[in-house]
Amino acid sequence: MAVAAEPSDEDLAARAAGADEPAFEALVARYQARVYRLARRLTQDDGDAQDALQETFLQVHRKLSSFRGESRFSTWLYRVATNAALMQRRSRARRPAEPLDAYAPRFDVYGEHAATPEELLAASAVDERLDRKRLAEKALDGLARLPDLYREAFVLRDLEELETAEVAEILGLEPAAVRQRVHRARLLLRGYLGALAERES
Amino acid sequence: MRSDLKCASGIELLADYLEGLLAKDVSADIETHVAGCPRCTAFIASYRDTPRILRDATAVTLPPDLEASLLDFLRSRRS
Repeated sequence: MAVAAEPSDEDLAARAAGADEPAFEALVARYQARVYRLARRLTQDDGDAQDALQETFLQVHRKLSSFRGESRFSTWLYRVATNAALMQRRSRARRPAEPLDAYAPRFDVYGEHAATPEELLAASAVDERLDRKRLAEKALDGLARLPDLYREAFVLRDLEELETAEVAEILGLEPAAVRQRVHRARLLLRGYLGALAERES
Repeated sequence: MRSDLKCASGIELLADYLEGLLAKDVSADIETHVAGCPRCTAFIASYRDTPRILRDATAVTLPPDLEASLLDFLRSRRS
């Protein structure tokens, strides 16, 4: 039981703000993998994710003295990282992605599902129908084709698994708006995965 | 009990239902509908699987060379 407690993020942040470089590098070591993964999910590109990773910690270093501890350090860091990734994504000219609208659920005039139960369940089997590499490519493609507003909320809530309240704080939204955007994203991506699974069967 | 709950209106409530945010009677309406609706049962299963599938498919680790170049980059900008 005599294990020394790891310093908290907030302790490290306070030391780093006072030009304690090892404390800053300890924060980098603690969060770099999560920031890279987040940036890749938001930009769908390895190079953009790398640039956003560098930019994030550069800004963290510059802005640490203004971090007042109103949020948790991790929430503040996620906000810096999300903004860096979005700037990076916007800075690169892209082919316009075909939107996922066609994959929204369809209903008949009675408000009942137009698809069969088998068709409706197809998305659940997509990871058995596609090999890992292809599914990884298609997953990034699906994220790229989401509306921007839905993508940010979905990535933070469902892929990074942050609480709705924390996502709301990061994006400057009400929790209800986060839930709504995440729900819309899930509906579109569920349909998209289902179509992929059916095409490969 | 509401008799007008259809697949389409139930799905609008799905995210809030899964987070336990709905009033008890509304949740009960959804459960009654879903119990008799194989389409909604299938839809909800795939809706719930969607985040996990995409999370697994986009999980990456930081390449070691990137880790090293990040540290070099940050040190060069601070010196």
